[in-house]
Amino acid sequence: MATISFDLVSPENLIFNDDVGTIIVPGKDGDLGILPGHSQVMSSLRPGRVMVYSEDKNLVKSFFVSGGFAEINPEKCIVLAESVVELNSLDKSSIEKEIEELGSNESKESEEQLLIAKAKLEAITVSFYDKI
Amino acid sequence: MPSLKDIKIQINSVGSTKKITSAMKMVAASKLRRSQEKAEAARPYSSRLEEMLSSLASSAVSGEGIIKLLTGTGNDQNYIVVPVSADRGLCGGFNSSINRETFKLVKSLEGNGKKVQLMPVGKKSRDFFNRVMKDQIIESFVDLNISSTGYDSALNISNKLQELYFDSKFDKCILVFNKFKSAISQEVRQQQLIPLDVSNSEKEEEKDNFSNAIYDYEPDEETILKDLLPKNVSIQIFKVLLESDAGEQGARMAAMDNATRNAGEMIDSLTLKYNRTRQAFITKELIEIISGAESI
Repeated sequence: MATISFDLVSPENLIFNDDVGTIIVPGKDGDLGILPGHSQVMSSLRPGRVMVYSEDKNLVKSFFVSGGFAEINPEKCIVLAESVVELNSLDKSSIEKEIEELGSNESKESEEQLLIAKAKLEAITVSFYDKI
Repeated sequence: MPSLKDIKIQINSVGSTKKITSAMKMVAASKLRRSQEKAEAARPYSSRLEEMLSSLASSAVSGEGIIKLLTGTGNDQNYIVVPVSADRGLCGGFNSSINRETFKLVKSLEGNGKKVQLMPVGKKSRDFFNRVMKDQIIESFVDLNISSTGYDSALNISNKLQELYFDSKFDKCILVFNKFKSAISQEVRQQQLIPLDVSNSEKEEEKDNFSNAIYDYEPDEETILKDLLPKNVSIQIFKVLLESDAGEQGARMAAMDNATRNAGEMIDSLTLKYNRTRQAFITKELIEIISGAESI
């Protein structure tokens, strides 16, 4: 089976760069599963999980992104995200605390942050995509 | 004629200055390496973003809402100039060249009948423009510490700029910053940030096989563009801040290297003077003794 090269880039550094089997990214209109030979798509992303699988469909890495863009062509997939964290480094109780704090604050900015924090919480609680 | 003791004191004080400057040089050199790595690490993101943007830019049709970041307001009467300097001095002509260039730019814009406002970044330019054009400063950002706070501080500046822009406070935004050329040389550059100058960014991108191909856009071109444009402003600022940070360290390293060398030369000449004076005293005493002995 073929592989597709995958770059996960944040403004501060290149977080992931390798040839992989499958990637799932959270597109704005729904999740995109990307396999080698995917058609050319440029999509913006919603806050959510980016899952990376090896050629034999084992989960290699999972990240949380706070939104961004994906550029996909048959050989390469590039995800640009402003903030990227590895899923297993997230801590449930601290996110819940964050949500609580943001909920009491009513500025426009914190509303956005709240959406991201809620998506974060969802990302660590759900387990679909763990196996494909 | 200074006494021997005076010269000795002077030699010692130049010696301790030399120690300080050479230590500062070492520190700047190691910081330079770090800033350069940071700047290097930020490159993939910004170049990809620019690539995406340039392929999308042609689809921008009307000048409504966020798209205005690309198409402009249709006016060019009000300018905002953002000089990016360092927070600290002792780095040669780094800060003063920024201030001089900005001052010149502001004067020439005003000469053409434009209204200019300032938004200095970094203590050195804030202090300078506080003295010369205080009433034109609308906001200033200091103590950014870009190498430790990273992207967030760029985001702050970018949010402020966009807020002002959509309040129709200005039509064009120009950044003045030091471009990092090599460890010892920086070049003052101007970059138009808003509205975005696409033709400029296109030159630097490297084309691969797919960059000219047709993409499917999800959800659609306009939505992506609307997400992309504000991010691009932030990333451009981030890039400039990193670049300027690396430039600052480079400039400081060069300045301190010079200072250390000068101190070395000064110590040499002072030591020579010290030895000569000492010899002169000895000779004088000898003559006194001999002539005293002769007279008996």
